[in-house]
Parts: sequence; structure tokens; C-alpha cells
Amino acid sequence: MVSEMTSKERVLAMLNRKPVDRVPVITGSAMVKEYIEKSESSWPYYHCNAEMMVNTVSLMHTDAGLDNIVMPFGMFIESMALGLEVKMGRIDIQPSVRSFFNKPEEVNYDNFLKDKFVKTTLDAIKLAKEKYPDAAVTAFLVAPITLTGDLMGAENLSMLSIKCLQKEKQMQKMQDWLSKALEINRIYAEACVEAGADILYYSDASASPNLVMPEFYYQVAVPAEKEIGDFVHHLGCPWELHICGDTVPIIEGMASTGADCLSVEQAVNMKEATKIAGDVPVVGNVTPLLMVEGTEEQIVAETMKGLDDGAKASMLGCGTPPLSTSGRLRTWVKAVADWSSENF
Amino acid sequence: MDDLPEEVQELIEELDKAAEDEEEDKIKELTQKLLATGIDVGAITLKKLSLLVMDGEEEMTRGWTEVAIQIGMDPFKTLIEGLAAGMSLIGKKYENGEAFVPQLLIASTAMYGGMDLLAPYMKQSENITSKPATVVIGTVEGDVHDIGKNLVKTLLSANGFNCVDLGNDVPASKFVEAAKEYRATAVSMSTLMTTTMAEMPRVVKMLIDEGIRDNVMVMVGGAPITTGYAAQIGADASPRDAASAASWLKEAIFDFPSENVRWG
Repeated sequence: MVSEMTSKERVLAMLNRKPVDRVPVITGSAMVKEYIEKSESSWPYYHCNAEMMVNTVSLMHTDAGLDNIVMPFGMFIESMALGLEVKMGRIDIQPSVRSFFNKPEEVNYDNFLKDKFVKTTLDAIKLAKEKYPDAAVTAFLVAPITLTGDLMGAENLSMLSIKCLQKEKQMQKMQDWLSKALEINRIYAEACVEAGADILYYSDASASPNLVMPEFYYQVAVPAEKEIGDFVHHLGCPWELHICGDTVPIIEGMASTGADCLSVEQAVNMKEATKIAGDVPVVGNVTPLLMVEGTEEQIVAETMKGLDDGAKASMLGCGTPPLSTSGRLRTWVKAVADWSSENF
Repeated sequence: MDDLPEEVQELIEELDKAAEDEEEDKIKELTQKLLATGIDVGAITLKKLSLLVMDGEEEMTRGWTEVAIQIGMDPFKTLIEGLAAGMSLIGKKYENGEAFVPQLLIASTAMYGGMDLLAPYMKQSENITSKPATVVIGTVEGDVHDIGKNLVKTLLSANGFNCVDLGNDVPASKFVEAAKEYRATAVSMSTLMTTTMAEMPRVVKMLIDEGIRDNVMVMVGGAPITTGYAAQIGADASPRDAASAASWLKEAIFDFPSENVRWG
């Protein structure tokens, strides 16, 4: 029997493959309308005001009971800081990247850390660490392949991902883009760790079999994710890897990146994924929409099934939908606690 | 094509190379040589085009489309039995789990490359016998992912539908306005993100409020969309991928009232 842990201890123990007092409950994105309103934050300022950001995301920890506090709110900070066009969305819609570069030479990251959105993230990390030292403060970052897709356009990435497997010249082109993304990843990772992040959560949505072939994932994405992952480990910080879609065909590759846990969504057969991943913890795979319109029975049943099938932490597929309700989030957290008390 | 005479096969290989290198004069010269052999160049061209589109060979598809133009083939025949047929082939492979999205994308690029060359000739053609059914298509508001939507559009176009593409991040009201304006047969919405799924029922509700829900079929799709969700929000179908969307609509349209009955 493991004595009671703080949220941070619990999550770090899970990542270190150590015993936990109960299964951690974590999330990737945390822009929840109800919490934005409850914390009296206002759109779009909570994206560039560290205090508003922390006041909002911390409610996921203090009100809903999740073990991590995640910032920023979406996968647009890197692109914004590079000068790409970003549409700020709405209070219930995350910002989205609307433009891309034509060639790698156009990507200039000299002033990356001076961008106000990057600075907000770093300030929010520091503030969250101060105010909530017991929570696992997590930076939500765009992983190399997805960032490459943001730089060159996701459709161009998808097409180049097949062409680069066929022609050396196209592979060189791919690597030219990817090396820019990795350099930006390194700059941002180092700053987040310096700011005090306990964990870096990398989403590589565009490395999904929904967009690129598994062959590309193994040949190009795995070395890139491993490169940034090794860099993060070198900084003394653990990292989580999330990829959207049915990732069973690439779980083995994901496990080989050195990520401290693999986050998967509801399309994934958890039993199969955990079997393939071996001793690398797999986390997930609750359907996010359940937090918007799921019944208590549905939330409890799906949460417990994920844990029965071997998930080492309960997590919502690809993040927390903005229209999630606090009641449903609490139901989910309670389901994990109930499962833990029955099984530990 | 292995059963063709050796001389013909050699010319086809030379044409492939000229097409890949985009050597227009060479393509013309080789086309004439191929015609001189007495072989059915039209049949060979259609077969080549469908296979090249399927394989996503953009330059070669353009080159062989030039061949089709050179021999005076009806541009609609070139489009439907050559280019679009290739798109359907890769679509079927994708449906069967034998191909991935990048393959669909490069096939789509190849098909559109050929279509660009055909466009000036198609305008002059009088081979338009029926007005195609119109599909209003877009990615819902808040979501800028449009690869899936574009693939649905491509496969619908390849199957003869007229697509009105509203793009991505489309407000609910735009779907409704476009459905009315174009007297649409179907409205097709996609989203990749769970965070924007709630836009889909908004569109359905607006169609109901405007009294035009029964005038159109509603298709919803995207990674997080299930058939259960589609039924719950009052959509007619949630095909699991782009190829299934085209197959479903082709079937469904037979039992659907005509445009004049629906729109007056």
C-alpha cells in the first residue's frame, strides 16, 4: 500500500513507472468555458495574460480534481510566435493556425522567446508552480512533425511524407523543414523547463496514421520525436507523447522514442496498445465528448474500461472540450478514484 | 498492358519518360507514332490515366492527359473513365485499408493536374446531358482542418457531383445560405476535432428552423464522428471515409426526390 501522494508525486511516479497511491487523472488541453467564466477570465485575454491563464486552468485541479495543471490552451503558440496567422477562435473554440510558410528559409525564430504568447506561457508556468506546488505543472507543446505541418501546411506535409519515402531529394526537403521545427522545439522546451515545468506534454497530432503513413512515422517521425525527447530528458524533465487517431500501428515506434508515457485516444484499443508498449505507460483513452454530454453511467463505464485494459493514467482522448461541465469532470475523476480503491 | 506488342510497349515507356520530363513536343511525336501502330490508343490512354492517378504520378498524369487531348478524346470521357476512375481505384483501396491519406492526396493532386489541362476543352464540349446534383461541403466553424473535407470533395467530384466548397472554419449560417442558393441535394460537414463537433447539430437545427431540412441530405464526417452521433444530431449519414461518402451519396440519391420537387 502506497501512502497518500500529492498530485505531482502521483503523476511523476506513474511516469517513472513506480507504484502510485491511486491512478492519476491528467489532461492535455484545458480551455474549459465554464472555468473561464468561473475564474472571471475574458476572451481572448486569457491567452496572453498569465494570471488569467493560471486562474482558469488551475480549476481543473482545484475544482475537478485532476492531477495536472496544463498550459497554454492550444496548439498555436509556436506558430503565433513565428509570425504565422492565427485565428483566435472563441471562448468555446481554441485558436487555430491559418497560414504557413512557402520555404524553410522563411522561418525565423530569432525572437521566439520574446513573443508575448510564449512569454505568457512561461510566466504562467512560474505562477502555477508558485501557487500550486503540489500539482504536476505541465507545458502543452507542439511536437516536431505537427510543428513541421504548421510551418509548411498540413496537406503539404502529408504529401511530402509519402514523396520523401520515394525520393532522396524530397527527403532532404522534409529534413530541411523538420530541422527548423526541432530547433524551435529545443528553444521552447529549454525555456519551459527553466520556468519550472514538471512535465512537457508533446502533441504530435499530425504524426497520426490519419495523416501520414506508418512507414513515414517509423523512418522520420520517431527519430525526430526521440531527438527532442532526449533533449528534454537531458534537461532533467520527463515528457509525454500524444498522437491522435488509431495509433496501434505505430505504438511500437512511439514506445521507442523514450517518451515517459504514451497518450492515446478513444479510437485505440487500450488492451492492445498496452501489450505492444510493454513497460512504457500508456494513458488515455476516455472519449472527450463524454465531458460535454455523457451520462454518469457512460463516463464511469468508459473510464473503468480504460483502466481495466491497462491504462496507467486516465486521460481524455485529445484534450478537454471547451464545453465540458465541471460536474462531468468530477464524475470522471471520482470514477478513477473508485477504480483505484477497488483495485489497489 | 503486358499483352501489348513489344513495339507498342516500348513507345508507352518512352511516353512515360517524356511525360515525367514534361517534354511536350516529344509527347506529341510519340503519340503520333503510337497511333501509327494501329493500336487502340484511346483505351491505352484511359487505362494509363487511371493507374497513374491511382499512383499519384502528377507529371505523368498530365503527360498522358496531353495524349488524350492529342488523339481528340472526348474530355468528359477522359475525365470520367481515366482520371476519376483512378481516383475511385485509390478510394476503394483506402476504404479497404490498403492505402493511406497521403496516397489519396497525391492521387487527388494528379487528378486535378489532368483536369486543369482538360478544362479549356470541356467548356467547348456539348456533352452535358444532365445537371449534376449539388453538394454543399465544408469544415465546421472553429476547425481549419480541411484535408478530409477536400478528399470527400474530390471523390464526390470524381463521381459526378457538383461540389460547392465553402472551405474550412465555416459558420453554421453559411451552410444554410449555400444550400438554399445552390438548391443543394446534400450538405456535407466535417470536423477533425471533438471540440468543434457541436457545430454540426447547430447546422442541422438551422436547416430545420429554415424549413429546408427535408430538401437536403446531411452527411457528417471526421475522425471523432460516429454513426451514433450522426443519428443523435439528426444527420442522415456518417460515412467512415471519403470513398464511403461518395458511395453512400450515389446510392442515396436514387431514392431522393428530384430538385424541382424539393426546391420548387
